[in-house]
Amino acid sequence: MSHPALKPPLGTRLRSELFGSPGNSALTLVLLAALGSAAFGLLHWGLVQARWAVVRANSTLFAVGRYPLDQQWRLWLLTALLAAAAGLAWGLLRSHPRRDRGGELWPRNDRIAVVLLAATALAVPWWLRLEPLIQARWWGITALLLLVRWAAGHWGQRLPARLLALLPLLWPLLYLVGMLLINGGVGLLPVPPGDWGGLLLTLIAASFAILLCFPLGVLLALGRRSDLPLLRWGSVLYIEFIRGAPLITLLFLGQNMIGFLLPGGLAPDRVWRAAWVLTFFAAAYLAEAVRAGLVAIPPGQLEAARSLGLTVPQALRTVVLPQALRVALPTMVGQFISLLQDTTMLSLVGLMELMGTARTVMANPAYLGRNAEVYLTLAVLFWCCCAALGLGSRALERRLDPNPAS
Amino acid sequence: MSSALHPPTAHRMIEASGVHKWYPNGFHALRGASLSVHRGEVVVIMGPSGSGKSTFIRTFNALEDFQQGTITVDGIALSNDLRQIDAIRREVGMVFQQFNLFPHLTVLENLTLAPVLVRRRDRAEVETQARALLQRVNIAEQADKFPGQLSGGQQQRVAIARSLCMEPKILLFDEPTSALDPEMVREVLEVMQDLARDEGMTMVVVTHEVRFAREVAHRVVLMDHGEVVEEAPPELFFTNPAHQRTRAFLDQIL
Repeated sequence: MSHPALKPPLGTRLRSELFGSPGNSALTLVLLAALGSAAFGLLHWGLVQARWAVVRANSTLFAVGRYPLDQQWRLWLLTALLAAAAGLAWGLLRSHPRRDRGGELWPRNDRIAVVLLAATALAVPWWLRLEPLIQARWWGITALLLLVRWAAGHWGQRLPARLLALLPLLWPLLYLVGMLLINGGVGLLPVPPGDWGGLLLTLIAASFAILLCFPLGVLLALGRRSDLPLLRWGSVLYIEFIRGAPLITLLFLGQNMIGFLLPGGLAPDRVWRAAWVLTFFAAAYLAEAVRAGLVAIPPGQLEAARSLGLTVPQALRTVVLPQALRVALPTMVGQFISLLQDTTMLSLVGLMELMGTARTVMANPAYLGRNAEVYLTLAVLFWCCCAALGLGSRALERRLDPNPAS
Repeated sequence: MSSALHPPTAHRMIEASGVHKWYPNGFHALRGASLSVHRGEVVVIMGPSGSGKSTFIRTFNALEDFQQGTITVDGIALSNDLRQIDAIRREVGMVFQQFNLFPHLTVLENLTLAPVLVRRRDRAEVETQARALLQRVNIAEQADKFPGQLSGGQQQRVAIARSLCMEPKILLFDEPTSALDPEMVREVLEVMQDLARDEGMTMVVVTHEVRFAREVAHRVVLMDHGEVVEEAPPELFFTNPAHQRTRAFLDQIL
């Protein structure tokens, strides 16, 4: 908080910055007029000219592709489970503020988030003209998230510490349950990866690559700084080779080559081939981000840990990596965001993720010339996912910051 | 003054003889340095900068390797055997010039990390011990803060408590007060003094603090150009040194 006398009110500041001189005033007016006409044009197009039927009629296709209709309850169940887990994590985070600084149960940002979530759950299904029953599912899932958030916030303190320590395991467990629900098997009707599509496939490919490239990238970064020459050169070779090749060539290479490398039955499905290529690609970039984090940690940290008797793996796990990964966090999340966007490349090897779905929809003669509507929808969907990643990373950074501003 | 000191015993905790070290760039940092430290003894190492005194004590817990000579710590000869190095490091604590506290852990976690992880002791029991140690270095109320929220003197006292929590047989101090503001030097030296007097801790201290050397050390050692030039009790070292190089050094710092 700066001193009030040092900071004039916003109105005064805007007036002096935008209309300080005749030249500035003229420039401001011209820019305002340009902005105004652009905004008007966009609104006019969006509300009057655009034909949103292309999105409304294909909303299921964009969401899950050709996933069998009678099996879609599995995806709804998974969404509900994810919402409950997210609400639980959110609530517990607030009910257990860090020991060295206070925290409200319902800070202002959380209140804004609740309003936004509720508004989205009401407005989007209505705008998509979904059936009332489906609309009710949106409401139900949002209500579940907020309810669990509220309950975890109020009663989180009473949970025993042992249970809390086990909670991080919930996420990998949920991922496995999710893959089981999506893929089928164990009593559920199998749904082959070829039938997955749209946002579902985009999120599967991105989350798979993000989860697996993380440990791989950390190992590569440690390998690159290792004292063992073979390990070091191997890591350098891998990182530089991957970073020197465009993703699209690697994707095509993966589709064609994995078939030769593995005997027929073992070669994974086309979807999984692409997901593995994405993983190996992202790991090389992540390794460089982690290496930058490792370089930022003073050698005295490892020396102190070693002189307390910790072995090198113990020192890396408890002292060096927690600090290095915190430093690398913003870069890593940047990598994850580009990875999410790179999944659009899967459409070029013929997979029906969001971009591939969009291309088939636009190829339908019934929706000729409706490209702008489709691309705008895609852009908004991607923006939502990336904004969520970015917000999460900033919250995590604040939580992990050992030196609060106070 | 020295009557308050514990008399050192005959048991040799550190025995270094003829230690040579070359850095990878060819610099000959240690040129046949030798020193023996008995149990309960406080040895202060002084010397001009670049004389190899930090390098020397860092060889005692294998933070630096050496190419010639032998070092035996509490009966275990230092070699390249990693398990032996780990065994020695558990018994030898080290306090650094830059504190090297773990900034992502609270003060209490800094103390409990190694005993729980390395000695596999019960966490609750270690925490009780850690709080008692923090009490002894007069910062019990800071236990739940992070190192970045403490002053330099407080951080160094936490670092000493962190070493003590491993219950080491020997404590090495590498210029523990050089990075501190003058008004914080005293609080750290007092803690070290108490350790020597009340506990009879075996300590090897690299420092420029003459008063500490006079009042606490059993022996003062002068290093120059990678070798031990003079070893004498403090009263002799500061008033009537045998070597010309010691006199030249004392002229500069006194």
